[in-house]
Amino acid sequence: MMAERKVVHPALKIAAVCGALVLFFLVLSWGQEHWDAYTVRILNLCGIYIGITLGLNLCNGFTGQFSLGIAGFMAVGAYTTALLTMSPAIKQAVFFIQPLIYPLNSIQWGFLPALLMAAVVSGIVGFLVGAPAIRFRGDYLAITTLGFAEIIRVVFTNIVPITNGALGLKGIPPHTNLLWSWGFALICIVVMVRLMRTTYGRALKAIRDDEVAAEAMGVNLFFHKNLAFVMSAMMAGVGGGLLGNLITTIDPNMFRFPLTFTVLMMAVLGGLGSITGTVISAAAVTVAMEAFRVLEEPRVILGLSIPGVPGMRMVVFSIALMIVILFYPKGFMGDREFSLDRVKRFAAGLSRANTSKQG
Amino acid sequence: MSDTNAKAAPALVCESVTMRFGGLTAVSGFDLRVPKGALYGLIGPNGAGKTTVFNIVSGVLCPSAGAVRLFGTDITGLSPDRVAHSGIARTFQNIRLFRNLTVLDNVLVGLHLRRQANVVEALLALPRHSAEEAQMAATATKLLEEIGLADVSHYRASALPYGQQRRLEIARALATKPAVLLLDEPAAGMNPAETEDLMRLITDIRDRFSLTILLIEHEMKVVMGICERMTVLDHGETIAEGTPEEIQRNERVIKAYLGGGAVVRH
Repeated sequence: MMAERKVVHPALKIAAVCGALVLFFLVLSWGQEHWDAYTVRILNLCGIYIGITLGLNLCNGFTGQFSLGIAGFMAVGAYTTALLTMSPAIKQAVFFIQPLIYPLNSIQWGFLPALLMAAVVSGIVGFLVGAPAIRFRGDYLAITTLGFAEIIRVVFTNIVPITNGALGLKGIPPHTNLLWSWGFALICIVVMVRLMRTTYGRALKAIRDDEVAAEAMGVNLFFHKNLAFVMSAMMAGVGGGLLGNLITTIDPNMFRFPLTFTVLMMAVLGGLGSITGTVISAAAVTVAMEAFRVLEEPRVILGLSIPGVPGMRMVVFSIALMIVILFYPKGFMGDREFSLDRVKRFAAGLSRANTSKQG
Repeated sequence: MSDTNAKAAPALVCESVTMRFGGLTAVSGFDLRVPKGALYGLIGPNGAGKTTVFNIVSGVLCPSAGAVRLFGTDITGLSPDRVAHSGIARTFQNIRLFRNLTVLDNVLVGLHLRRQANVVEALLALPRHSAEEAQMAATATKLLEEIGLADVSHYRASALPYGQQRRLEIARALATKPAVLLLDEPAAGMNPAETEDLMRLITDIRDRFSLTILLIEHEMKVVMGICERMTVLDHGETIAEGTPEEIQRNERVIKAYLGGGAVVRH
């Protein structure tokens, strides 16, 4: 029944992937120049949210550790990157209440080292939070990490000599472009796909399915849970850094719980435990967030004039989330992945169904 | 059966192990010597403390007093993953598979603890990890063939029928390359035909993987049929120890375990 499997030479495969990547980034760099600013902004957000949501999914979906601290790690990354990339002159102008402390006020790094530093710092913070918190299970972990994210926000509001307090940072250089944000998304995708094909990825999924059995099989819970937690924090940190340098201004209130909720919604809609689902849903939700802005505008329908209701699109998202939870409790993809084999099998099934109908 | 086994060096020893939960003493002064290569039974009525003993040996519980030794090494109070590293694997009374993973992946998780490659090597697909991954897949496939699950290796574990889920739990435990295997009521919920298969499987893997097996079981047919020696627990205390024949004749056992006036037919 099945056709003989065609064996593609590995070198050919690699060449094809490289070609596709080059083409993809050529299109992006062309688009950066030629598409309008609005489109570019939304595409940037798509790339950034794909990476961050994958990070959240690694911890919440693949490892089953329900963490709600993602906004906190994003804040850590955003502030790290911003403080490292702003020029000393701008820092002096922005910090007019209290001057910025010594080493930070006189340095200016490139974007790449700043992002790497954001990954390191949020990874360290992730470990410091994760190591004690990861001993909790289920709701308790969620509450602890949620509390941590709030603590970060309050601390950032109050350490004025470093963060400029509630005024936030302004004039962050707009380094983020399509290449950076989609490069980040791509790296996160590759890391996740790789990780899930290794024995470590299987151990994480084993912890999700049955923690007691995993430990009895020799899986060190502390190490593996922290691995997922720290990697997740690092992805969120870099994503936060890219976000800060995209919108060029950050303040502690940006990183409130609704930000975590948005990322969590992307992961749940796509399917906790599916890389493909996460990518699709993060991009779709980001676009929808903008597209649904029309709902908040005043308009006249059938002679009735309806005033603009700010927050209307969040109502729509809440309803969408409820519908998904009701009809697709595991999200659109569940824990399945998109693969060419699956498509082939699906196509084969369709043609079989057709022939049997005809015959 | 064989008395030669009993004289060999003990694989697993419990020395006056006591477990107290608040005011309740679940197990008191429990002694156990499982000779290397033995098939040893642990029986007793419900609530006798059998699973508590298993949880102490496998590291889930830390005993209030006493010691557990594996080939002379003290393993008392080690965490479950350390106990697994030291060479004890177990199955669970209520099946605990990784339900959403495939049958093959379940066994591969069992192989995880013998890994050499670190996370970075794994992420970058460096040669040591790739070679190890291929080797693990081969080992797991071979193991599934020996247990008789090769043709369902790509099913989700939750999709298997009950008897095969029990077998998969045993296969997963074997993947950790244990010296001692703890089976917690392996025949629970099985029909007579499945039970027959299971008994063959247990004696078979004991020989093939040169294991020492400690087994909790309610199904008298299984315990009396395959165990060489056994210990009987009642209310946390050891009431008898010996061969199946001795246990069947033991007055205290018949009274405590089977109820007053019961007769063992075998």
